[in-house]
Amino acid sequence: MILPYTAIVLLVVATLYSTIVSFRRADAGKRTWVFPEATNRSARIVVGGLTLALLTGLAVWLGVGARNSTRPASRFLIPDGYTGWVRIEFEVQGAPPLPMEGGEYILKIPPDGLLRTSSAEQYGWAKDHYYYYSAQAVHPLPDSGSAALIWGKINGEGSGASGKRKYEELFVGTEQQFKSQVPVS
Amino acid sequence: MSSGSGSIDVIMVDMFPFFLYFAASVITGFHVYTLLALAVYGAPSNPLELVSLLGSLCLLIAAYVSLFKPNAAAKLALIACLAIWCFYGPAIAKSVRPKLGGQSSVLQPK
Repeated sequence: MILPYTAIVLLVVATLYSTIVSFRRADAGKRTWVFPEATNRSARIVVGGLTLALLTGLAVWLGVGARNSTRPASRFLIPDGYTGWVRIEFEVQGAPPLPMEGGEYILKIPPDGLLRTSSAEQYGWAKDHYYYYSAQAVHPLPDSGSAALIWGKINGEGSGASGKRKYEELFVGTEQQFKSQVPVS
Repeated sequence: MSSGSGSIDVIMVDMFPFFLYFAASVITGFHVYTLLALAVYGAPSNPLELVSLLGSLCLLIAAYVSLFKPNAAAKLALIACLAIWCFYGPAIAKSVRPKLGGQSSVLQPK
């Protein structure tokens, strides 16, 4: 909350200072706070070195952040013809963990649309894949574009009788079906 | 001892515009960046925020120019500050007006 006020105060001071320095003439040879001269070589070297260190630190921080922001992709297997909300509840005691196949978590959704697992929810960037499955075949579901069948994917944490529970929800169906589920504000 | 202290004083005086422009640039830039980042959650963004962000970048450049040419840097900093005010001016006016009772007459009883 203090950020906007600090920004405004600094902006006012910087505006006044730069206006005074731009439009007033300094007395020759007189060095003041308002009319400074160019800094000496050593000060420039120190500032240059600190800037370089700052930029290096920033690059390392961003690099580490980008590396930690990925997660294994998830493969959602949804019963063929299912439409409606799908919910996955994580860290449920006694539920089976999510299996992994080819570096992807397999989330096989039961016919009622609710999957419970003891695995923890994964956070970060990944390209998830969605499929309709039946006894005969598995075929992919588009999750983007006008023909998308995956909508409104959300992560949340709810509390109930069994304590706090992390969950993920998504809607399977056409855009029209999804909009009829979500009230437009 | 006194000459060393005097030397540091001179350096601090000469580097005052650098510190001022640098701090103003980083703080205003970070503030506007956080506002722009809210667009990820669906918040409407304002083109003036981009103008302000460009102004913060110019102010950062002015900070480094001030180490070499303080007067030229001051002119650049002034232009940059005006660009930043493009966003902060209307934003302050909009937040202050309701407190001063100048709210839209549409909301006032007839």
